[in-house]
Amino acid sequence: MMLYQSKQEYYESPIHIDQISTSSIPTYTRVRSRRPVIFDGHYSDMRGHSRTIFGLRMRDLQLMTGLLLLAVFIRLYRIYQPSSVVFDEVHFGGFASKYMKGRFFMDVHPPLAKLLITFAGLMGGFDGNFDFKEIGKDYIEPRVPYVPMRLMPATLGVLVIPMAYLTLRQSHISTTASVLVSILLILENGLITQSRLILLDSPLVACTALTVLAWSCFQSEQRRPFGFWWWFWMSMTGLALGLTVSCKWVGLFTIALVGVSTIRGLWDMLGDLRITPEIFTKHFLARVLCLIVIPISVYMFFFAIHFAILTNSGDGDGFMSAEFQQSLKGHQMHDVPIDIAYGSHITIRHVNTQGGYLHSHNHVYPSGSRQQQVTLYPHKDENNVWKIMNRTNIPYDGPPVMVKNGDVVRLEHVATSKKLHSHDIRPPLTELDYHNEVSAYGFAGFEGDDNDLWRVEITEHSSSDPKSKDYLRTLHSKFRLVHLMTGCHLFSHKLKLPKWGFEQQEVTCIKGGTYPKTVWTVESNKNDQLPEDAEKVNYKKLGFLGKFLELNQVMWQTNAGLTDSHPYDSRPFDWIVLKRGISFWGKHHRHIYLLGNPIVWWGGSASVAIYLIFKTLLYVRAKRGYKDQLSESEQFYESLAGFFLVGWFLHWAPFFLMSRQLFLHHYFPALYFSVLLFGVLFDIITKFFKSRHRVLVALCIILVTYLAFRTFAPLAYGDPWTKSDCKKAKWLSSWDFDCNQFYDNYDEFNTEPTESPDTKVDHVSSNVPHGKENVATTMGEVAHKADAKNVVKEKATNNNVTEMDTEKKEFDIGDEDDADDEQFNPPAKHDEG
Amino acid sequence: MDTLKRRHPGMPDYQGSLEPEYSDDKLYKPTRQQSGNKWLGLPKEYRDEALAILKEYHDDIIPIALTLISFWTRFYLISYANFVVWDEAHFGKFGSYYIKREFYFDVHPPLGKMLVGLAGILAGYDGRFSFNSGEAYPDSVNYGFMRLFCASFGAWMVPLTYYTAKELAFSMQATVLVTLMVLLDTAYLCISRFILLDSMLLFFTLTSVFCLTKFHNQRNESFSLDWWLWLTLTGISIGCVSSVKWVGLLVTALVGLYTIEDLWDKFGDFHMPKPVYLKHWIARIVCLIVLPVAVYMLCFVIHFAILNHSGPGDAQMSSLFQAGLEGNDFHSNPLEVAYGSKVTIKNMGYGGGLLHSHVQTYPQGIGSSQQQVTCYHHKDSNNEWLVKKPRESPMSESEIEVDFVNNGDAIRLLHGPTGANLHSHPIKAPVTKSQWEVSCYGNDTVGDHHDYWIVEIVDDLNEKHVERIRSLTTRFRLRHKVLGCYLRAANTVLPQWGFKQIEVTCDKRNNIEDPHTHWNIERHWNDKLPAAPAANYRSKFLYDFWHLNVAMYTSNNALIPDRDKEDILASTPDQWPLLTVGLRMCGWADDAIKFYLLGNPIVWWSGTASLALYAVMLLFYMANGITFFMLAR
Repeated sequence: MMLYQSKQEYYESPIHIDQISTSSIPTYTRVRSRRPVIFDGHYSDMRGHSRTIFGLRMRDLQLMTGLLLLAVFIRLYRIYQPSSVVFDEVHFGGFASKYMKGRFFMDVHPPLAKLLITFAGLMGGFDGNFDFKEIGKDYIEPRVPYVPMRLMPATLGVLVIPMAYLTLRQSHISTTASVLVSILLILENGLITQSRLILLDSPLVACTALTVLAWSCFQSEQRRPFGFWWWFWMSMTGLALGLTVSCKWVGLFTIALVGVSTIRGLWDMLGDLRITPEIFTKHFLARVLCLIVIPISVYMFFFAIHFAILTNSGDGDGFMSAEFQQSLKGHQMHDVPIDIAYGSHITIRHVNTQGGYLHSHNHVYPSGSRQQQVTLYPHKDENNVWKIMNRTNIPYDGPPVMVKNGDVVRLEHVATSKKLHSHDIRPPLTELDYHNEVSAYGFAGFEGDDNDLWRVEITEHSSSDPKSKDYLRTLHSKFRLVHLMTGCHLFSHKLKLPKWGFEQQEVTCIKGGTYPKTVWTVESNKNDQLPEDAEKVNYKKLGFLGKFLELNQVMWQTNAGLTDSHPYDSRPFDWIVLKRGISFWGKHHRHIYLLGNPIVWWGGSASVAIYLIFKTLLYVRAKRGYKDQLSESEQFYESLAGFFLVGWFLHWAPFFLMSRQLFLHHYFPALYFSVLLFGVLFDIITKFFKSRHRVLVALCIILVTYLAFRTFAPLAYGDPWTKSDCKKAKWLSSWDFDCNQFYDNYDEFNTEPTESPDTKVDHVSSNVPHGKENVATTMGEVAHKADAKNVVKEKATNNNVTEMDTEKKEFDIGDEDDADDEQFNPPAKHDEG
Repeated sequence: MDTLKRRHPGMPDYQGSLEPEYSDDKLYKPTRQQSGNKWLGLPKEYRDEALAILKEYHDDIIPIALTLISFWTRFYLISYANFVVWDEAHFGKFGSYYIKREFYFDVHPPLGKMLVGLAGILAGYDGRFSFNSGEAYPDSVNYGFMRLFCASFGAWMVPLTYYTAKELAFSMQATVLVTLMVLLDTAYLCISRFILLDSMLLFFTLTSVFCLTKFHNQRNESFSLDWWLWLTLTGISIGCVSSVKWVGLLVTALVGLYTIEDLWDKFGDFHMPKPVYLKHWIARIVCLIVLPVAVYMLCFVIHFAILNHSGPGDAQMSSLFQAGLEGNDFHSNPLEVAYGSKVTIKNMGYGGGLLHSHVQTYPQGIGSSQQQVTCYHHKDSNNEWLVKKPRESPMSESEIEVDFVNNGDAIRLLHGPTGANLHSHPIKAPVTKSQWEVSCYGNDTVGDHHDYWIVEIVDDLNEKHVERIRSLTTRFRLRHKVLGCYLRAANTVLPQWGFKQIEVTCDKRNNIEDPHTHWNIERHWNDKLPAAPAANYRSKFLYDFWHLNVAMYTSNNALIPDRDKEDILASTPDQWPLLTVGLRMCGWADDAIKFYLLGNPIVWWSGTASLALYAVMLLFYMANGITFFMLAR
């Protein structure tokens, strides 16, 4: 029997299971001891429960229930408040209505979280007839069931708490630390704000938490490979990873975390000579199946649902290729003849930008040549029709002659009898010396001049149709149009003409342009000379995989393209110190501002710093020859803390590589890891404390956190606040919530009718992420707009209203040709919420 | 670096160990030796003597021979193309400015261009040639000599490679092989033969690496004379390479990584006393940080000293610096600004430009569609502004009376050529969305109170407190009367629609320390006022130095190519290792002399293959290492 110097040493020293007869301890029996247990070389703190979460003690269940109730209260308190659209509810609420109507939309986020919100809306009786158009738009009057929709993220936000508790408990962290961490998470103002609204971050954090829980349970099962629970937790991890990445692509960082952990495990296994190559291969394949195949299947499954719901054309069409659009109702095209002969009436589509068809209309450029405009227009219209003609004017009555590669042609705009023309004049917007203006010039009967001549260069053709390499054929041939006199290529890019050009896309002729934006294809083709039974062609049908891949590619590009700055954007370094938040909403002298609980936030960051300093110190000491031997329990804590640290790092550092706009809420997954790390450090530091003192320390931390929570609660709940309280709460001068919005004292909130219409919707409306400002202006609105200039000046004098929103609605009407068409709604460059 | 160490563990004089390898007779014996008495038509005695000399002096003969060949290849037919090839158009022109002593602006640091200038002086060139691309050189320009001067830098790469390889203890064969690879690489050859900076950049890069290996081999004799010598030379080298082009910072980083690893190893050396360790640190800080920075700054000192005349780059610099240049026209400036004065307004932040506006408007969808206001580094009439009173105030009718602008006055700024008012409104700025847009709107009579700006004087260079704005010396801010924001320009570059000029915003933050909100009057015209008394303006070197570097950085960032425009000259880093593209350096007319920059495929591909092979080996050893480690346990 060993002798111990002190009581402390006794508690420190682990029980080695093999010291005692193993058979005397049944696996599921509780070992009533505070000492850690070393079982088969693995550290296991069997303080009262056996393995994973299903061996919980009664006390854990009681505590968990208590925490859950507390979380429900804190998260759902006055969830009906505010009763109008807040921040990115504009987007995500809007997507729910589009799901209801099945109208295709494009968003940079995968569909799961949005589907959940839609589902909640459906349960609440939402009919999809509310457009969530701008921040501050009232919910009550149009009877939008916004509370059920908000309950979905809120519920998931509540579930984060028990998951955090279980993760720590089953990782052998003390009850005190686990409760402490749970309460810190409950009182985290940022998480509260985020989970009370129709936003995606709450589902994301919940899925991340689930992944961490499943993965740590799996780690505990390492001793029993290929057992039921081993398989169970590994596939749960895969499932949770799939869910996480289906909420937001930030889930890829979670995948990276699990990936790093897996590779490390496999690497260790490679060094373990007791493991035969066969078993190693089995381990490897099991991981491939559970951690790669399952997540991908889950991810694709939600896209399958997404496509199944969105069957109609909608405002996301403009992002997608013509083939993709064919799969949506409202875009289907009839079969068209494949052969293009001289005299055919064709429409020409720009391949790269999805900007639509080569278009002209009876309006001239206000500058440059002042000839008729040529643009790109996304909708089908007879002004898109061009007649393809050869360079001579000799009438010809013989059999149809097909257009060949290399032919010199002229294109006549059928509606105005003018020809596609270019000359050495700078285009209206792109005033660069290597761009020439493109116009439509001439009149009926006028022979035209050499500047009307274009050479057809077929650059790509359909592999199934070899003939389309040499002959211009509908859809199958992709071609460039070279201006014969100047050698420039017909070109278009995503630059919209001002209102004199009806916000259609600019078309120019570029000298030495790169390939992608100079490629065109013929989409429709009509020729009376061709027989009725001529060979017909149509877009090929895109299968699920094709649609899935294309949509993901477009999402990626759109996401990377969100580089504009935003009034409330921030950079990763700002997050660790909580430098600034985001103004979400402000109305009726109330204000919602996303700001974390500084104590929790800074506590998490401090834990990261302390752990890093500790590791550096060890490393430096080792270099100087100190042999620091960590005890086995210390090693265990160290590796657990290391896991959380890597988790924090992988959810934070990659943001540095992104040039797109970033917001405080991108830090939430990283915050979760830093708070878990806080719990581990709490255990390490208070290990030598008496149990009573340890609880006391925890209570102190909770008290401080609670006070901070109370201070900032009005900003999270949109509760009444006063100017003076607000100013006192500005701990950092960089926190830019607007104190002037509040009344001087609380009484005024009771006397003022909260629904008074004249209270101003002020600067928060400028929060509308920029993309949304472009959204949907119908012709109806346009028609009533007065002289643009007056409106601008009028608004400019009123600094409470942003001019931006107003100006968007101003068009000058008068384009009879286009008036029948729905004015093209420029696809909202969606801004991540 | 690890591999270097393993090659000769603890052996300061490794060369002795290699001696047997090339003292071996067989290496130099011609095979035909036995068959006859004659060798290359010479009597046997000559052969023996030649062999003896070769044997004794081969350490010198081989590099000398290779160097001579190198010079020959680099100089051969160097003046054949008698026209301006490729970027000679830039660097020849910049060299000319040094000869004319006119201030110019460029994104590269000055050392390389000063050397080009030196070559011009040595060639007797007067600086008058315009160096237009493709233009034929007149007889007055000895371009051949200037090219020779640049090419000699390229030629020295060969001996440097040879001795670097020797320092790395390569075998004789390997040393000759790598030297030949450098000698025979056609890209090195081609780029060295013109008036460009690349030959100098390569030369100093190679000297840096060479000095570093020399220094590395002195490591067992720390603080010896040689050790100090090579450490100092390494420092000077990296100073020079960074002063030619900023790309030189890459080799500086290599030296930095080596030093960090070295110091970390020494930290783990238990036998080294702490004071010695400290000395190691100090030696490196002095030689590898202080010294290179000093070299870099010295280049700028010389740069400013030579270029003391007003020239095309003036507008990039602060007003005070320009005032110190000979030939500027600031002496006619009246002293204090009055209503009715015409002024140009300069931003005082590092790299700041002149407040500018032009008829083009902010595009729809991005801004207000009103006239753009930017900061611009070119002097033209679009930088001129008229100082006016607010519309409400009574106009002083008197012709003689001059009404000065006082601190705290509200003024209106009228853009000279378009007559529109400097204006701001609560519309988000085009790039910096958190601030308000600044535009030009209306005219002298049409407008509103959003056109009014309050003058807030920060300080004056000569006097502590001034109540009026003095040209050149007074720093002031402009606060928007209605919005309370400050006029600011902080080197944010606008997209193409704004001609890549600098964005001007109205900043809601009131930070008096922010130099980007500080402005001064650069030019000042007022018929009613006399010119200011002559004063000797001196700007501080450090300020000018930093200002110029920020301006270089900003211009560098604005050089974003148009993705829609085919750029046949450009290539991307992923194309380089496999040499998939070359570079056409001049016109491609049928009868023209043509130059095409293309590496020697064997050299490039074998280099890339070595890198790949090394990476694979590293991985293999790592995987094996862990298994061995486990076995050992």
